[in-house]
Amino acid sequence: MKYVIVGNSAAAVGCITGIRKVDKESPITVISYESSCYSKPMIADVLIDIPQEKLIYRDEKFFEENKVELILGHRAVKVNTDSKVVVLDSNELVPYDKLLISTGAKPFIPPIPGADRKGVFTFTELSSALAFKDYIKKNGVEEVVVVGSGFIGLEVAYFLAKIGVKVTVVELLERALAKALDERSSQIVETLMKEEGVEFIFKDSVAEILGDEKVSSVKLGSGKVLKAGAVVIAVGVRPNTELAQTAGVKVNAGIETDGHMETSVKDIYAAGDCIECLDITDGKVKPLPLFPLAFEQGFVAGLNMAGKEMEYLGGLPLNSLKFLPVPVLNAGIVTPPDSSYEVFVNDRFEEKGFYRKAILKDGKLVGFVAVGQIDRVGILTNLIRQKIDVSPVKERLVELDFGLVDLPQWWREEKLKQDKTAYKDWRAV
Amino acid sequence: MGKKRKLMKVYPIEENCVSCRYCEVACTMVHSKSKDPVKAYKLENLLPRATVEVKGAVSLSLMCRHCKHPFCFDSCISGAIQVDENGQVHLDEEKCVGCWNCVLVCPFGAAHPYVSEEKRHSFKCDLCGDRGFPACVEACPNRALVYDYER
Ligand SMILES: Cc1cc2nc3c(=O)[nH]c(=O)nc-3n(C[C@H](O)[C@H](O)[C@H](O)COP(=O)(O)OP(=O)(O)OC[C@H]3O[C@@H](n4cnc5c(N)ncnc54)[C@H](O)[C@@H]3O)c2cc1C
Ligand code: SF4
Ligand code: SF4
Repeated sequence: MKYVIVGNSAAAVGCITGIRKVDKESPITVISYESSCYSKPMIADVLIDIPQEKLIYRDEKFFEENKVELILGHRAVKVNTDSKVVVLDSNELVPYDKLLISTGAKPFIPPIPGADRKGVFTFTELSSALAFKDYIKKNGVEEVVVVGSGFIGLEVAYFLAKIGVKVTVVELLERALAKALDERSSQIVETLMKEEGVEFIFKDSVAEILGDEKVSSVKLGSGKVLKAGAVVIAVGVRPNTELAQTAGVKVNAGIETDGHMETSVKDIYAAGDCIECLDITDGKVKPLPLFPLAFEQGFVAGLNMAGKEMEYLGGLPLNSLKFLPVPVLNAGIVTPPDSSYEVFVNDRFEEKGFYRKAILKDGKLVGFVAVGQIDRVGILTNLIRQKIDVSPVKERLVELDFGLVDLPQWWREEKLKQDKTAYKDWRAV
Repeated sequence: MGKKRKLMKVYPIEENCVSCRYCEVACTMVHSKSKDPVKAYKLENLLPRATVEVKGAVSLSLMCRHCKHPFCFDSCISGAIQVDENGQVHLDEEKCVGCWNCVLVCPFGAAHPYVSEEKRHSFKCDLCGDRGFPACVEACPNRALVYDYER
């Protein structure tokens, strides 16, 4: 058996871990055009001069111990499914028996005139983060415009403000992180960002990026012009499905996979930001580009590739605004789509510094928000995952001391006494 | 497939727990620099890795289960969380960057956030690796915590 993994990040490491649970010996080859296995969620930290070795997610020892051969600095350009080989940009052929595609996501760049000027960046790879940092240093950039107020945009804006750069976030919608957070937590985040010096312009967009060779300002849809020595475009990412398409794999919003993370083509699996996945909180299949999910999908793919059948539990939105001094966590649905949902709120942010909100549907938790005090909220995440009936304790869900004593006794019996904590044990009840 | 793991962990017995919180005190103390329970709370701002939960007549002490599938490990962006060959789940507080993903996904609420001026990281039960025997189990006067092989 020969395993090949394209990509060398969260999903790939999950896959290696999964394969090695079952098959300790067969060769694994990892292909990536990047030169190291770094932590992608941590790349914005380069702005505040994190030492590069701190960004390493898995070091050489990990790959050695797991008997993984690394082909770094090369792009996989094609998968030939007849001869079962991956073709590299060097024309080298890498044969596989089981292949994982974990090519991640690509930044979405809206068609803004002038977006090809020097000084316009995206922020989804270490190289782009480093290039951006280098540019603002070399050019003594004092003003940056960030397009989009998603997680990446806000994180970049926050760190820029921290190092004394004047930064303005331009957002088409009426508030920050409008797609991921509810109104209250989004307002809290906005306040925290403003305290650090970040400015916001809502309900507006960048119509044109102006300048000569290099960007010097941006023109907004409203006609307003903002000085900008550099621009960061962070309006979201899209699954990177190019390689999958060369294999004839079925692609919708992202690569389609079955419950075993196998694609429509036999022996080709996919995991991470390049796929579309089932969101168990609303039943929709969509891209959910999140680190924990990428790892878990890779892990499940790895088990199945190595012959141990395992069904993926399904994904859900899981966010932490890790750069803020006040923790902001959320999972699942944060704003009820209609009146069939029940909502509980415990807002003590002004007096006590915390805010909690729980959203239920048919007696089951489908989402929550926790700001300030976040200890033990993973219990809530699991209630969403396991779809446990919480109607007897629904008012308690937003209390800080909500705990396992609030769960049914059978749950504690099963999880604590009988140690049912294997992957399959976390299925919905 | 993987052989049976040889892991001992701490099991709470809720029938025996009287919520005296001796386990919490012992935990904080042994993980402190001063090894003094009062100083550990007051000066070092330490928090226990075991959490005593109480609701009506039910109470129990809860700490990291060293899950067979640890979601904290999946979610850890820094590589601070690692699983050893016995299945014990380790959290390296130095390596941790305080992203709170583990807090967000731990089904037991056993990975806790720690925030102070200088540091932010998560922390959890380490089975008293340095000591050889879990202090909470020793401290419990009611046999509401036992140290036993994984089931
Ligand atoms: C700035 C930033 C902050 C983030 N913060 C968070 C956060 O706080 N929490 C969170 O959950 N998620 C966060 N994310 C998202 C998270 O990083 C991703 O969900 C995760 O990295 C996805 O892992 P992956 O393995 O699917 O793909 P990626 O990490 O995108 O890796 C893709 C890999 O594929 C390789 N590759 C792609 N195409 C080819 C090819 N043709 N040939 C060879 N190699 C190829 C790349 O080199 C890379 O190694 C953040 C992302 C960014 C950019
Ligand atoms: S921290 Fe939580 S998820 Fe991780 S091993 Fe411990 S109990 Fe399991
Ligand atoms: S808080 Fe620390 S240990 Fe927990 S997931 Fe983040 S980096 Fe890992």
